[in-house]
Amino acid sequence: MNVNKMFPERGPAFWWTGFTALIASGTIFILFVSLVVESVPVFKVQGVSFLWGTDWFAGESYGALPMIFGSLMVTGLAVILVLPFALGSAILTSEFLNGRYRLMVKAAMELLAGVPGIIYGLIGIALLTAAVRDVFGLIDGNTLFTAGLLLAVMILPTVMTLAEDALRAVPGEFRDTALSLGLTRMEMVLKVVVPQALPGLAGAVFLGLGRAMGETIAVMLVIGGIDRIPQPWFDLFAPGQSIPSKIGREAAESLGFDLQWSALIALGLVLFVMVMALTSAGNLLLRRAR
Amino acid sequence: MPRRFSMKVILGMALILLGVGISVQVWPGGGSRALAEESTVIRVAGSTTVLPIVSRAAERFQARNPSVKITVNAGGSGVGVHGAGTRRLNIGLASREITLQENNRYASAQLNTTVIGRDAVACVVSSEIFHSGVHSLSKQQIGDIYLGKITSWQQVGGPDRTIIVIDKETHRGTRHVFMQYLFGKANARAPGARLVTGSNNEEQSKIAQSDSAIGMLSIAWINGDVVGIGIREGGQVIQPTLDNVRNGRFPIARNLNLITADKPAGEVKQFIDFLLSEEGQQLVTDSGYIPIHSPHAVSKVAGSHSK
Repeated sequence: MNVNKMFPERGPAFWWTGFTALIASGTIFILFVSLVVESVPVFKVQGVSFLWGTDWFAGESYGALPMIFGSLMVTGLAVILVLPFALGSAILTSEFLNGRYRLMVKAAMELLAGVPGIIYGLIGIALLTAAVRDVFGLIDGNTLFTAGLLLAVMILPTVMTLAEDALRAVPGEFRDTALSLGLTRMEMVLKVVVPQALPGLAGAVFLGLGRAMGETIAVMLVIGGIDRIPQPWFDLFAPGQSIPSKIGREAAESLGFDLQWSALIALGLVLFVMVMALTSAGNLLLRRAR
Repeated sequence: MPRRFSMKVILGMALILLGVGISVQVWPGGGSRALAEESTVIRVAGSTTVLPIVSRAAERFQARNPSVKITVNAGGSGVGVHGAGTRRLNIGLASREITLQENNRYASAQLNTTVIGRDAVACVVSSEIFHSGVHSLSKQQIGDIYLGKITSWQQVGGPDRTIIVIDKETHRGTRHVFMQYLFGKANARAPGARLVTGSNNEEQSKIAQSDSAIGMLSIAWINGDVVGIGIREGGQVIQPTLDNVRNGRFPIARNLNLITADKPAGEVKQFIDFLLSEEGQQLVTDSGYIPIHSPHAVSKVAGSHSK
């Protein structure tokens, strides 16, 4: 009876779409539940000290803080590095280029967005580590900074094309009105178009952030792979470890077995929650911005 | 009218779900049975030290036995032991002995070890460091470098340059053997480390890329850019050469092991027997290691827990 009121039209289309939606949302739910269930053993043994312990040695102790720290550092750095370039080129493409040129830039960027992470990893390990070492006069180029820089390059096309889409979505009348009121082109872009596109721009950044935070292989090859928080903590030119890189290095050894497996799953859960928190924080900010 | 229609759809969906469920239940069994008639798959993975021998052997073995397919993957000794212990792998590769802990953990698998060759772990440095005069180090010095007590090459007779200490993932066989030698503990921590690498390949390239690195590497992987240095022991310098491993003088020697759950049988046994045959042992030599039937037995095997 109730169902009739809630869903007045229940044709085959309703049932099919309902079925697919159930599978889709159920997958996320099952994923989350299994992450929680599988990570219970490590929390039982280590308690919450799993989250702020700094010592990780398979078979002995599991402390996730260096990995959590490393993930936050490299993604934060990547976003800071990518913002000016992604926004700048998005504004240029959307506001100052027209027709063919705009399409050319967009096509190139969309092509770049599809390049697999391992390609960036190979370039990173072959060229970027040596370049970072020489440019900054370090003893070794496998650092948090290198990983952040590589991630910035990786997410640049994604952030740029999405930001460009957001800018294009601002209706032309806004631009016409601004110009007819006597604003310069620069003022029009910065005071009218960008504020209007802000939710979309933030969305672009958060999507880039998500990709950066989950990226495994490219980071694994250049971050140094050491489970340690640098001394002092803001020393970006020290080696570190990120959550995906740690899981990537240890997963095959403990597949589905033992406390180490549970600890790796718990790391995955932490990553999951971190990405969720970032996304919802972003959404909240966006709602306020509007 | 709409109500009856939707009932039909529900019924249809239930049938589809049932069908999916049944096929999921049936498919794997049916699939593997069909596969078994055509060919047998031997899954091998683990130590990147043992890997070159086994992948060469697998090529030849498959050429002669077309019905057998052998897949060989890397991962490290820990992956090899874990894979054999959980029966995911038919053969696990390990460049160290099975630890007591692992034996207990995989007790139900009755892990069985077959030695196919011998190797040594050398302490290696970047060629620049070797050419600047650091040709050998004592056990004490290497230990202090890994503990972070010695941080500059100057302290051991080299240039005034920070030492880039390269550690390995904790489950790697090479690390077990090396740490066992340095600190008497296979799972010793190395607070002086600057980088952590995985496979022999990765470690080799990181050391070659740097001009002030120190690391640990199977002697078969030493080359012009990654130089094995001598170990100073009792006033003598022992070079990491195959001869010194053979005559038992080089202190960090080890067995190259194939790990199986239970005693090997069927095609797996045939493949292992091939590795132990004269032809298989020639492949061990070709890969830069020492065959098991060499004239001199290896007297010291590090990393063994049989006390």
